[in-house]
Amino acid sequence: MSDTPVVQMLGISKIYPNGIPANQDVNFSVNKGEIHALVGENGAGKSTLMKILFGFEKPTSGTILIDGEEVTFASPMAAIAKGIGMVHQHFMLVPSLTVAENVVLGMAPKKSGMFIDFKEAVRLTEEYAERFHFDVEPNARVADISVGMKQKVEILKALVRGAKVLILDEPTAVLTTQETVELFRQLHELKNQGFTIIFISHKLNEIKELTDRVTIMRRGKAAGTYDTDAVSEQEISRLMVGRDVVLEIEKTPAEPEEVVLRVENLHFVNEWNKRMLNGISFDVRKGEIVGIAGVEGNGQRELVDILFGLISPEKGSVQVNGVNIADKSQRELRNMGVSYVPEDRMTFGIAGTASINENIVSDRIASPAFNKGPLLNMRAIRETSQHLIEDYAILCKSGRQHVNMLSGGNIQKVVVAREFSADPLLIIADQPTRGIDVGATELIRNKLIDLSREGAAVLLVSADLNEVMELSDSLIVLYGGNIVGYFDDGQWDDVMMGEYMLGLKKQSDEEVKRACHA
Amino acid sequence: MLDRRMTQFNILRGAVAIFFALLVAAIFIFLTSESPWESLRYLLIGPLVIVKDGAIAFNTRNMLEVLAGMTPTIFTGLAVCVMFSANQFNLAGEGCVYVGAFVGGLIGVYWNLPPFIHPLVATLIAGIVCSVIMLIPALAKVKLGASEMVTSLMLNYVMLYVSMHFLNFYFADRSRGATMTHSFQDTARVTQIVSGTSKLSWGFIAALIFSVIVWFFMYRTRWGYSIRMIGINQSFALYSGMNVAGMIIVSQMIGGMLSGMGGSFEILGRYNQFLWLNLPGYGWTGITIAILAKNNPAAVPLAAFFLAYLNKGCMLMSTKTHVASEMIDIIQAAIFLFFAAEQFLSGYRQKIVVKTAREELLMQGNADIENGGAENA
Repeated sequence: MSDTPVVQMLGISKIYPNGIPANQDVNFSVNKGEIHALVGENGAGKSTLMKILFGFEKPTSGTILIDGEEVTFASPMAAIAKGIGMVHQHFMLVPSLTVAENVVLGMAPKKSGMFIDFKEAVRLTEEYAERFHFDVEPNARVADISVGMKQKVEILKALVRGAKVLILDEPTAVLTTQETVELFRQLHELKNQGFTIIFISHKLNEIKELTDRVTIMRRGKAAGTYDTDAVSEQEISRLMVGRDVVLEIEKTPAEPEEVVLRVENLHFVNEWNKRMLNGISFDVRKGEIVGIAGVEGNGQRELVDILFGLISPEKGSVQVNGVNIADKSQRELRNMGVSYVPEDRMTFGIAGTASINENIVSDRIASPAFNKGPLLNMRAIRETSQHLIEDYAILCKSGRQHVNMLSGGNIQKVVVAREFSADPLLIIADQPTRGIDVGATELIRNKLIDLSREGAAVLLVSADLNEVMELSDSLIVLYGGNIVGYFDDGQWDDVMMGEYMLGLKKQSDEEVKRACHA
Repeated sequence: MLDRRMTQFNILRGAVAIFFALLVAAIFIFLTSESPWESLRYLLIGPLVIVKDGAIAFNTRNMLEVLAGMTPTIFTGLAVCVMFSANQFNLAGEGCVYVGAFVGGLIGVYWNLPPFIHPLVATLIAGIVCSVIMLIPALAKVKLGASEMVTSLMLNYVMLYVSMHFLNFYFADRSRGATMTHSFQDTARVTQIVSGTSKLSWGFIAALIFSVIVWFFMYRTRWGYSIRMIGINQSFALYSGMNVAGMIIVSQMIGGMLSGMGGSFEILGRYNQFLWLNLPGYGWTGITIAILAKNNPAAVPLAAFFLAYLNKGCMLMSTKTHVASEMIDIIQAAIFLFFAAEQFLSGYRQKIVVKTAREELLMQGNADIENGGAENA
């Protein structure tokens, strides 16, 4: 261990143009040949630190040393030249090109100096895939391959560019359990060959399983680096949030009453003629949480969009309290008692340059409580907002602050505070805790349970398997636009779910039909 | 603290932008004028003071003219504020000023109403007509997805030539040498505040009142709120259950209404007949004003004053020292450029941000006994 660390970041500070100090005097060091976890809540500054290391952002102050030599990265190109590779959470691949073409993109081998040598590209891809035991098909189009495969292509891309240090930004967020196991095997293999891996994650069990050391970040500062074996999950989580977080969620058994949401024989074909929903039917009853599990892209997106009236189904119907919602506007749906926590909170959830006050009442701005004749009752709006800010522990200077000045978790709290306080009959929660910190996640999950026990019907769609398994009273698995499994006994685990989610197992039609409580 | 500093920064940025714009103008003045220093003097302080035999006196008449010049542009500036706030780049304010003046003028000629009521009725109807005209780009946008920028831009000329057609064939006073309507009735004139040649009418006061009304509409009513939310994030507005299509239409109708009223106040306050044979340009100025005011109705009178002042200065400069009066366009274009350039002075902005953040961290650190203020000291 007397070797110089391969990466050293000393005294790194970063203040963004919106005034958020993302990193404050952070020291971070990674040894050669280790898998080093970087954990922290959202807004703790992990991503910023890694963007600085990868040359995406310039630090406001501080130095970076690679193999003991001081460097300044003007761009990711400079970082790549120094052997830094990054695999982003959202893949940077061109779907219409083949795997090999993506791998060599921007550095393609040329024939006679002009034409791209596709054969050489394939050969190069095969050579690297073989060396690292990556099982990829160089000639497959990226659009056709699975998420896990895409990730391998991303890693290959970095390796082909000569990366010695790989940064993986929440690599397992989109993977199934089986794919995660496969990824971990490959990361170990890379480690054995002398590569260094920086692994960003929220998932403490994965960190325990995979990594050698862990650096914990909290509120823009490094809260310490530890040997992973020497700290427990509870300790890591306490260091992350500064207090003990109960990761197990307590909930009383559901006592479902009448059906609130009825989905019947829903079909949808998308604009590329791909069948996304293939005749699905289920009910959600008052007082229960129904979870929808499934690998992303198996029809969840389309189902939710139909439920909130953003697209129309090809066939089939959706009823809320017995009323067909076809051709209903979002305003009418909200008046019927439907609340919706959107997956894409920045696009649908908030108006960034408007204040928290303005965002938190956006769905009820026309209500008599907030209007005095033609004028808005600013005091009522302020008071409601203040009340919700306290109730949902939204970290802000005041309600007049712009929402886009908040961290991801707090932005989501603004969205959730609005949706949950609308006195909803039906809540559609689409990835309600994706990419947000442990504290906000816990708060949102508990609020969801409270609301359902107080009599709301909740439909929970989440790519986080733990989340759906823990929160749901019954569980629906979507695969290829079909319901392939319905579970209402609470007897489920991730291995079994993974088999249904990957289409390895399928229930009979009779079993699936139990999702309807006619 | 950051908020306050950002406000200060924005004011400073505006001042620097204006300074640079004037610098650009100065370059052209030095290139074209025979007596550049005198030209500059007229441009910058000509509207404000008279220099006569070494004595300096406040130039009341010119200042009243500057104020009078603000009347139509406050209205068009407000119109653009409302439309741009909804992210609707409707440029038909120009044509609406023309139609508003034409309709207002015709009512001033042909209707018989008591004084005071007469110009108000004329202006109101002019506004209504223009807001109905704005339904064309608004509905095309909502129903057909046609860009309101393109349709409204073309609509300006449709409005101009259709009005000219009616003026030429139905309403022209044949006893005159030039194309114009008959004279307005005395009851139709907007009363002057100060009698004299400045033509500062009560339309100016109406414009100021409307600045307040429009501010209240935008920031204190649910409709204004919806318009602003649509402008910031239309998907969010739709998702929140706002009537997005309806408010897009309403915002443009309000824009048309305000522009038309501006045209009517202008014609009935400063002219004896309707005699415009071309677009007057107030609609374009309104866009500059809205940008200077950052779409805030409360800031519109200030921005309008600034441009009216420059306009008057340019006119003085061109009549007294033979610099082309188009100089105003160069100055406006330069201001436009510096204001629209987001990155202008962004390095300095970042320094303020960093400084403020550091100070706040230090304050937190001092307050926080646990951490003892060790960071960033």
